[in-house]
Amino acid sequence: MAEAKVINPDLDFVKEIINSGGESLKKCFQCSTCTVVCNVTPEDRPFPRKEMIYAQWGLKDKLLNNPDIWLCHNCDDCTKYCPRGAKPGDVLAVMRKKSIEENAVPGFMGKIVTEPKMTLAALAIPFILFLAVLGLTGHLGIPDGDIVYSKFFPIRYIEVIFISAVILAGISYLSSLSRFWNNISKGSSQPYSKGFFPALIETLVEFLKHSRFGKCEANAGRKNGHLLVFYAFAGLAITTIWITIYYYLPEPYKKHSPISLADPMKWLANISALALLAGTLLIVFNRLKNKGYEYRNSSFDWTFAGMILLLGVTGALTEIIRLMGVSSIAYPMYFVHLLFVFYVIAYFPYSKLAHMGYRTLAIAYSKMANRDIAV
Amino acid sequence: MAAEKTKGILVVGGGISGITTAVEAAEVGYEVTLIEKNPYLGGRVAQLNKYFPKLCPPNCGLEINYRRIKSNPRVKIYTSAEVEKVSGAEGDFDVTVKLNPRYVNENCTACRACVDVCPIERPNDFNFGMDKTKAIYLPHDFAFPMRYVIDDKVCKKAECAKCVDACKYNAIDLNMKTQSLSLKAGSIVWATGWKPYDAKKIDNLGFGKYQNVITNMMMERLASQNGPTKGNIIRPSDGKEVSRVAFVQCAGSRDENHLPYCSYICCLASMKQATYVREQYPQAQIFIFYIDVRSPGTRYEKFYKKIQQDENIKFIKGKVAKIEEDPATKDIIVTAEDTQTLQKIHEKVDLVVLAAGMAPSTQESKIPSSVSYDTDGFITSNTGVAGMSAAGCAVKPIDVYSSAQTAAAAALKSIQSLVRR
Amino acid sequence: MEKKIGVYICTDCEIGKALDIEKLTKVAIEMKAPVVKSHPSLCQKEGVEFIKKDMAQEGVNAVIIAACSPRVNYDVFELGIPLVERVNLREGVVWSHPANDEDTQMMAEDYIRMGLLKMQKMEAPEPYKVEEPSKNVLVVGGGLAGITAANEAAKAGYEVFLVEKNEALGGWMSRIYKQAPTKAPYAEMEEPEINNLIKEVQQNPKVKIYTSSLIEKIDGAPGLYDVTVKRNGGAETFRVGAIVEAAGTVPYDAAKITEFGFGKYPNVITNYMMEAIAAKGTMVRPSDGKPVKSVAFIQCAGQRDEKHLPYCSATCCVESLKQAKYIRNQYPDSKVYIFYRDMRTPGHYEYFYKSMQNDAGVFLTKGDVKGITEDENKNLAVEVENTLLGEKIQVNADLVVLATGMVPVSALGEEILPPGVKPGDEFIPYVMIETDILNLEYRQGGEAPALINGYPDSNFICFPYETRRTGVYAAGSVRAPMDIPSTVADATGAALKAIQCVELTSRGEAVHPRVGDISYAEFFMQKCTQCKRCTEECPFGAINEDEKANPLYNPTRCRRCAICMGACPERIISFKNYSVDMIGNMVKNIEVPEEEEEKPRVIVFACENDAYPALDMVGLNRLQYNSFVRVVPLRCAGSMNLVWVADALSKGIDGILIMGCQYGDDYQCHMATGSYLAKIRLSKVAETLDRLKLESGRVQMEQVSIAEYYKIPKILDEFIKKLEGFGPNPYKGF
Repeated sequence: MAEAKVINPDLDFVKEIINSGGESLKKCFQCSTCTVVCNVTPEDRPFPRKEMIYAQWGLKDKLLNNPDIWLCHNCDDCTKYCPRGAKPGDVLAVMRKKSIEENAVPGFMGKIVTEPKMTLAALAIPFILFLAVLGLTGHLGIPDGDIVYSKFFPIRYIEVIFISAVILAGISYLSSLSRFWNNISKGSSQPYSKGFFPALIETLVEFLKHSRFGKCEANAGRKNGHLLVFYAFAGLAITTIWITIYYYLPEPYKKHSPISLADPMKWLANISALALLAGTLLIVFNRLKNKGYEYRNSSFDWTFAGMILLLGVTGALTEIIRLMGVSSIAYPMYFVHLLFVFYVIAYFPYSKLAHMGYRTLAIAYSKMANRDIAV
Repeated sequence: MAAEKTKGILVVGGGISGITTAVEAAEVGYEVTLIEKNPYLGGRVAQLNKYFPKLCPPNCGLEINYRRIKSNPRVKIYTSAEVEKVSGAEGDFDVTVKLNPRYVNENCTACRACVDVCPIERPNDFNFGMDKTKAIYLPHDFAFPMRYVIDDKVCKKAECAKCVDACKYNAIDLNMKTQSLSLKAGSIVWATGWKPYDAKKIDNLGFGKYQNVITNMMMERLASQNGPTKGNIIRPSDGKEVSRVAFVQCAGSRDENHLPYCSYICCLASMKQATYVREQYPQAQIFIFYIDVRSPGTRYEKFYKKIQQDENIKFIKGKVAKIEEDPATKDIIVTAEDTQTLQKIHEKVDLVVLAAGMAPSTQESKIPSSVSYDTDGFITSNTGVAGMSAAGCAVKPIDVYSSAQTAAAAALKSIQSLVRR
Repeated sequence: MEKKIGVYICTDCEIGKALDIEKLTKVAIEMKAPVVKSHPSLCQKEGVEFIKKDMAQEGVNAVIIAACSPRVNYDVFELGIPLVERVNLREGVVWSHPANDEDTQMMAEDYIRMGLLKMQKMEAPEPYKVEEPSKNVLVVGGGLAGITAANEAAKAGYEVFLVEKNEALGGWMSRIYKQAPTKAPYAEMEEPEINNLIKEVQQNPKVKIYTSSLIEKIDGAPGLYDVTVKRNGGAETFRVGAIVEAAGTVPYDAAKITEFGFGKYPNVITNYMMEAIAAKGTMVRPSDGKPVKSVAFIQCAGQRDEKHLPYCSATCCVESLKQAKYIRNQYPDSKVYIFYRDMRTPGHYEYFYKSMQNDAGVFLTKGDVKGITEDENKNLAVEVENTLLGEKIQVNADLVVLATGMVPVSALGEEILPPGVKPGDEFIPYVMIETDILNLEYRQGGEAPALINGYPDSNFICFPYETRRTGVYAAGSVRAPMDIPSTVADATGAALKAIQCVELTSRGEAVHPRVGDISYAEFFMQKCTQCKRCTEECPFGAINEDEKANPLYNPTRCRRCAICMGACPERIISFKNYSVDMIGNMVKNIEVPEEEEEKPRVIVFACENDAYPALDMVGLNRLQYNSFVRVVPLRCAGSMNLVWVADALSKGIDGILIMGCQYGDDYQCHMATGSYLAKIRLSKVAETLDRLKLESGRVQMEQVSIAEYYKIPKILDEFIKKLEGFGPNPYKGF
């Protein structure tokens, strides 16, 4: 007979979950309706019923290194059918936030970014940094003439700041993910049914189609929003990199900002921006309309949705105002937009966006560990 | 001291609680008027095949109770009657009762000649629509009073009137009108009972969508000799015998989206119904999916143990939350997580019985008085009106035994109201 | 007054078409009925007038209505005279047998004959009236149930004597700190209601309270109970009419549950002890007075367990949730674990469960507690398997609370079986546990017989107060495990039943199930042989014995089942309207055709409660059954006297079938043992049959409920087929 595992519920952890948007947690009475109505849970040791009791009992270890919380797509079928109003969907969302926070490297960044109250502080960092750079280089002022943003914030500064941010964030993110991978895979006793890379590729192909998301019922609408945002970020990433490449191309291929509206790259950028706006709005409206079964995401999720929305809105305004030629608003708007760009890039490993990597790994792991579902 | 009182007790609801209240008070020596909305007494228990845990027939107890009514001139009954208005106070209530037309008077000898000539059919609500009766019908074959009734929603009345010609006893009067009855009562007992929760509202359990998903009350009718299938438990879709049956506990009960409370009787009812199936089909496999098995007390626990001994009855701790149909065979696949093994299980079965809960009758139709209700629509045990009490499932979901206890208690409370005056 | 019988044959409802009414009339005339008439529709107004006219003009004072079943038109034929007999020609003959058939006709003729013979022997019963019957109520036990019963009976105007063995009233309920919610929203603990109830009962002038008192003995019968109460070394006697037994429960002895270390580890306590700790104000543990910050509740400790209490005490889940709240309210940083097998929070308690779940510091899981260990600091470790956490776990606790169950005071004594009965016997007429609650002076023992696990509960689902002692009504947790609202309802109901009993007794009427019956047994003592069968077999202990074993009958204890009448070998027991002679006469006068006619005759003795209505249902459903059958209704199958069997067989009747209620564990016989006694008697008849040189298969017992009416035709056909195998009764024609 197995040894009894000594369990010591972490009451503070329970309260943390409750205070981060999982206030319904304790209502669960373990009927397992959630596991049954969930279309993305595996047959063996399915979630989220067991995660609910781990959370109720404050079993932090069992939760934060639990790949299953990442298999959850927040479809909210569980929340809709939960007879107790325990909202497993919300509780798992809080779990994921906690998981990001706990796995974050460096740890303090996790605490700052995942804490909605710290959002302003998080934005203050680039604000001060940008002011300092612009002030020290004498760019703090509205330039004359045609609106060309590089006159205000020279591209090389942007490059230095943002490329360093990407590198730092990348290192942090990779460290976090590797920590996470070690945590989830360490308990595994069974041999894997497939290798990491095949599993990873399968996972990425799934992402392109969003096929897992397609299994959601209660909250089917979320798939479209998420898909738009997903491709918008992909498009924006491509255009950002491409623009940098334009900049360094030899003449006559070299292009300066602002890029002409006729440029195919500009099309892609604008379409992506529109997709980002539309997708984010879809997600937000979807959340609001789903109030029917008292659906409520954690404030962590709301904060992030807000940030993405602001990113999109400021980006669009930056372009529109430039085209309108109102330089007194255009440059500040650009400045603000950059703040959000910085936020998204630099805090990537600690924000909601970090789920990309965690989820990828968790799904890949589920494929390796033979816990995959048909999608 | 009894019997001299001029004002009696009014009992509203002629199910087991109301009948019990009425006869218990009348046997002490008080005048009692019992009114019932249906054209027959017996209420919900009249629809049951057997009682748990003794597996004895409800009609046995009803028969005794009817005899108590028959032999007691102090009990006056009105069927097809509803309370319309109550005014006054303890000791001196004025009650207006609406007497819905039955179209069949006391001359009826239950000879059936009318049924043979009636050209119109209607779904039999006593059997939850699983069969049909004619527009003139006997509510069921243990009906008390043993008298036919006409469903005025479907009967063509004067246009047809075939039954009038067929009846030798002048028992049919198609011109009967709704009447109003005024009576005085010193105290009133509300024994308005319950109705099965509408399982269609539980959209993930397929009731109303898949033919072979039925409710526990329908199972009672299927298993009853006087039910739509003469007691044969067969699949509604094709009339085939059943060999695998799943019972889905808490179908609606203990569920905020439906009935937040526990309906108390469903665990035992399902176990009882498992015995119906096992008795008829010795090879049948039964699955009972539950959250908690609630069999409190001495006899219920003993019954649970007895059912557990049956190797063909499997209890699975995990709620069924998904029900699908194999469109080719109309078999039903139920899905649950066995929370003890942490495995999802899918059982393909012939028939699914939903343990649908009890909703108080007063959830939708409130009684014409200022009694207080709880959030679920049950009358609170202290009704808040002097001279009025409530009994049975009008107050909370309970079994027959407890209903009879509360009925006896309500009888005393109503007697006290008369004595106080 | 001279009996003048009028026979009225109704020709309606197919009777006139299916039977030769003239011949039926002739039969009645041959039987010397002074008035014999037929009418086209007796149940209609004119029909009743028709009879009433004869009563007025011809002086008919005993009416036989040969028409429909006595189960219908009962009110129509309420003629204001006691001697009205119904001969069931409709359901019993024409609706269940072929029309215009020789055998159907013979059947109807026999029924007319039997009805007349019955009427000839029938006398109008006079109620047994006790002189100055007491209408006072004795309530034994001053806990919640007892106090409620006393208050409620007094509110209805009755004098109550409330006897409590302890110094103070209140019982277990006065020792609890808070009570579980009883009112919406069912989430908040409530102040125990008991204190108000105690005040109320103490101030009620109609209630006389005896504390520190025990019942020394109760002599007598309903309406006439003489109660002797011992108090302060003295004794006092008073008279009551009925008794409410509300003796309550005691906690199960936790020391017996050795696996949980109670008695060995100081910090393992029971839920009962927990209330005492809570009542003191600070939740500290016994070993060192340290505040309890981590508490584990073990549900079903020694319950639902064949080794201890096989049953569920019904309240512990709610109680433990409540006690968890005591701890959580006091220490916000505390952790409370509840390990349950099934969380049993029925009805509205589900709300309380939910509200307690919603407390961050309450940790719940299903699980089986495997053991408890203690460390050097007296801290405890609880090991639990089969949890919902998917593994076997161990939690550390400052205190462990065992949810031990309740044992009724009625179970705390030696189990005494009736004379000649051994444990494990197929039939145990009653289980008497000799405790010290009532000390009734009854020949069958001093207490109310136990039904299950020592609880003197009612066996009947529809009739929770139908117990084995007339006038004695158990209430509250002594009768079955129950919560506070159920106890209050139950005690109120028991008070009603006590009041009802005294009222019925004062009118000379029987109580349920033959409620209103005014007949009672009469003993022709000159012929009594002191065989004790009646005193032993009476299911209700109605008959005491004197030193010489003469039966001492107590009419007000009697339920009028006539089991004693069936038991008596000397046939000395009879009722005015029901006797061995009467039924014997009916049986002996069934016309038995000659052997050559190949028309066997079968008597069905049918229990009036279930089998007779079932036969009626056969007719109502127009099912057909064999017309060689003659149905004789009995008050209870147990009232069957073997002399009828002998009479019938010696007259040439081919077989006898008894249709009684189900017997055994889940018996349905409302006379408790009646149907089983009928079975026993039948098994003894083999001897008689041998003497008569007949096959013992000619007599048979069947258990039939009203719902099984559809089985009856087959049962009868099979029986008759069996009889055909035996050949005709050789006594035909003697």
